[in-house]
Amino acid sequence: MSDPRIIVTVQEAAFDLDEGYAALLEGRCDIGAVVGFTGLVRDFNETPEVTALTLEHYPGMTERALGDIAAQACARWALTGVVIIHRVGRLAPGDPIVRVLAASAHRRDAFEGCDFIMDILKTRAPFWKKEHSTGGDYWVKERESDARDAARW
Amino acid sequence: MQLTHLNTHGEANMVDIGDKEPSRREAVASGRVRMAPATLELLGAGELPKGDVLATARIAGIQAAKRTAELIPLCHALSLSKVSVDFTLDRDAGVVKVEALCRLTERTGVEMEALTAVSVACLTLYDMCKAVDKEMVIEAIQLERKQGGVRGDYQRSRTPLVTGDGTPGEVSLGERCELSPCVKVKFLAELRERVGTSELSLSLDRLQSRDVAGLKAALIAQDASFAVLEEPRTLCAINQVMANDAALITDEDEVAFFPPVTGG
Repeated sequence: MSDPRIIVTVQEAAFDLDEGYAALLEGRCDIGAVVGFTGLVRDFNETPEVTALTLEHYPGMTERALGDIAAQACARWALTGVVIIHRVGRLAPGDPIVRVLAASAHRRDAFEGCDFIMDILKTRAPFWKKEHSTGGDYWVKERESDARDAARW
Repeated sequence: MQLTHLNTHGEANMVDIGDKEPSRREAVASGRVRMAPATLELLGAGELPKGDVLATARIAGIQAAKRTAELIPLCHALSLSKVSVDFTLDRDAGVVKVEALCRLTERTGVEMEALTAVSVACLTLYDMCKAVDKEMVIEAIQLERKQGGVRGDYQRSRTPLVTGDGTPGEVSLGERCELSPCVKVKFLAELRERVGTSELSLSLDRLQSRDVAGLKAALIAQDASFAVLEEPRTLCAINQVMANDAALITDEDEVAFFPPVTGG
């Protein structure tokens, strides 16, 4: 089996939902499943009226952390490839923040690999959200449920 | 903190600056006018019905700076030595950025003049474009920096989109330290706001032990606001790899402190 394809991008611009899809599949016919996850900005979170979100990150470490998470997923499940696209900067409610694609020969690996990547990303990748709401700006607090989700693996 | 424009009875009071020595002072303020992409295009191409929008707004801003004392009740009339107003069209963000600089040698500062110049330049932009776009929003009018005066210099702390330099996939060690051997320390996200600085350099000789715990202790000895580094939720990375208190620090390492992550 050839090495899994790992594509990691951190960008300000919006992305298309099929971004990276063709690159995962190009030239191969052994892939039977691609699972995709999209994370979006909600207009309610810590306060009811979130008007915008600013995502900060730690350049260099961010890309490395995302690459490590993708590689861990490939080591644990029989994945043929992983795409992780994460946005930074100012986003509005409804905007996509993160996109993960996991490809494998059989669907279970892709489902679980994708689930794992999101859980680990939320607790390990150096991104921080500041929410702008009608009541003011504040940094989003880490959630215990996210730590619990990551601990499942 | 005392408000200088109120007297001991809480009444409005014009500050007597007669005893201060004149000194060179400068202030820069900025603001934005958010507008539709089509409006920005027309503005850039000089095709708006009222003519040259930016030239008009620039003159309006300069005139306004000179008349600040007539508009703001407790401002002194100042003879400005320089006023400039500049515009940047940011098509990606959908805004015209306005920046004004005021300078003089006087007994009082010029931030109100710079803020007034920006405000009136923004209003003029609005007036010049309103025929084609009524949804425009004037926003984020703020002081960027000021220099001179007894209260010292002020620089708005940036809330950068990204913390520090570096291109994807590359470890950034930032600028080389002037002191040697030394460690470069970064504070990210909420932690940056709590300690009030984004980065600093520290001589390794100041560390009792050349590890993360030693660095924290040296910083706290320097300023009590760094006590936040001792909180259990504060995380640390050395050269962009997660590290704990016992991790060793060597010359020119980049050490970052940050709160728990909240991406995804």
